[in-house]
Amino acid sequence: MDEARRARLTAWLRAASGDAALRIEGMALLSGGAIQQNWALDVSGGREWVLRTDNAARLAVSHGRGQEYALLRAAFAAGVTVPEPLFLCEDAAVIGAPFFVMRRVAGTAAAHRVVRSETLGGGREACVRALGRELARIHAIRPPREDLAFLGAPPADACRAFIAAQRAALDRQRTPRPVLEWGLRHLERTAPPPVPPVLVHNDFRTGNIMLDENGVTAVLDWEFAAWSDPHADLGWLCAKCWRFGNDAQEAGGIGPRAAFYEGYGAVEDARVRWWELAAHIRWAAIAVDQAERHISGAERSLELALTGHMVPGLEWEILRMVEGRDAA
Amino acid sequence: MLLREILPALPAEKAFAARMVANAIAIAAREMAQEDPEPALLARIAALAGDARAFAAAIREGRFDPGTPRHAEAAALLQDITRARCAVSAPRAIGKG
Repeated sequence: MDEARRARLTAWLRAASGDAALRIEGMALLSGGAIQQNWALDVSGGREWVLRTDNAARLAVSHGRGQEYALLRAAFAAGVTVPEPLFLCEDAAVIGAPFFVMRRVAGTAAAHRVVRSETLGGGREACVRALGRELARIHAIRPPREDLAFLGAPPADACRAFIAAQRAALDRQRTPRPVLEWGLRHLERTAPPPVPPVLVHNDFRTGNIMLDENGVTAVLDWEFAAWSDPHADLGWLCAKCWRFGNDAQEAGGIGPRAAFYEGYGAVEDARVRWWELAAHIRWAAIAVDQAERHISGAERSLELALTGHMVPGLEWEILRMVEGRDAA
Repeated sequence: MLLREILPALPAEKAFAARMVANAIAIAAREMAQEDPEPALLARIAALAGDARAFAAAIREGRFDPGTPRHAEAAALLQDITRARCAVSAPRAIGKG
């Protein structure tokens, strides 16, 4: 970030915080996601903050910074372990894009480290039990909510809405995907009856949850949150494609499924399994989309191109799951 | 070979990029080594549904649901298409590599 932007940011933070003497003592780019950038801000008075802003290329399905800030506030108020949201700036003139500032939280989210560790999060069982409790708090947020009006009207039937949205996404692709259609058709044939919608995080998985040795320090990345079936989140965390190779620990590669369910409370296992198949289809569709961004030239990137090569493995798993579910 | 000889010589922050490059080369090598399975698979798709787009649409409409006459044929074809793609992209998924 250049000097002019930094000066504008300092002035803006002084006004927002009411601290006219505020100084930015350090600023470093943290490992940003494909969609956004995170900056570590060291601010006078020993304050450790994170500034979160948009990357150039943004997925159309993700929320902007202002909306993510509203979600973070709602979650913080509901007792979910999230970094405390501090200030929102929707004026792109300050640093070039809207941003918000939140308190910095210690811990690691790196998926491959997390699934290998016996002690992170307080140990495997304790960690997934805590994750269950976090999800239950998130799911206590229910519509209607004026502050979350941007999420739109809750779907009458979240399972069928998921199928329709995935089909619409496939119809936008140049290449037909018979295996994903096969999986979606199976979901349609076996869709459970609707349940009252709640706020779902929609990317609640290993890699997006920050841990230290004592427990969960932050649930991150709220930009896909939506009104939906709460089991969608349980299925996303338990899906085999999000266990990072540690398949025996069915809750995110971290710990046992049973302890995760216990932490959550009342779980309909059959619904979770339905959403686990849905999770593979959704991840495959995202991977197809990312590869397409590379192929179309919208964003040339070896990482995006390689993500496309994850699709056949996911499709293989989808076929296995459908076969097993149809035989059961 | 690439990873064994080059990775130790790289600074830590370049390891991810090096692994990506090695992965891409491995995919390309597997693709070259594989006999093109496409013509045979395309012929089977043509026999079953016309082309891939029509096949996808027919699946969506439920024309290959369990209990329909050609369900098993469609399932086997999807499996063979996916196995061929996994052989290039994800050999571990199908128990190779």
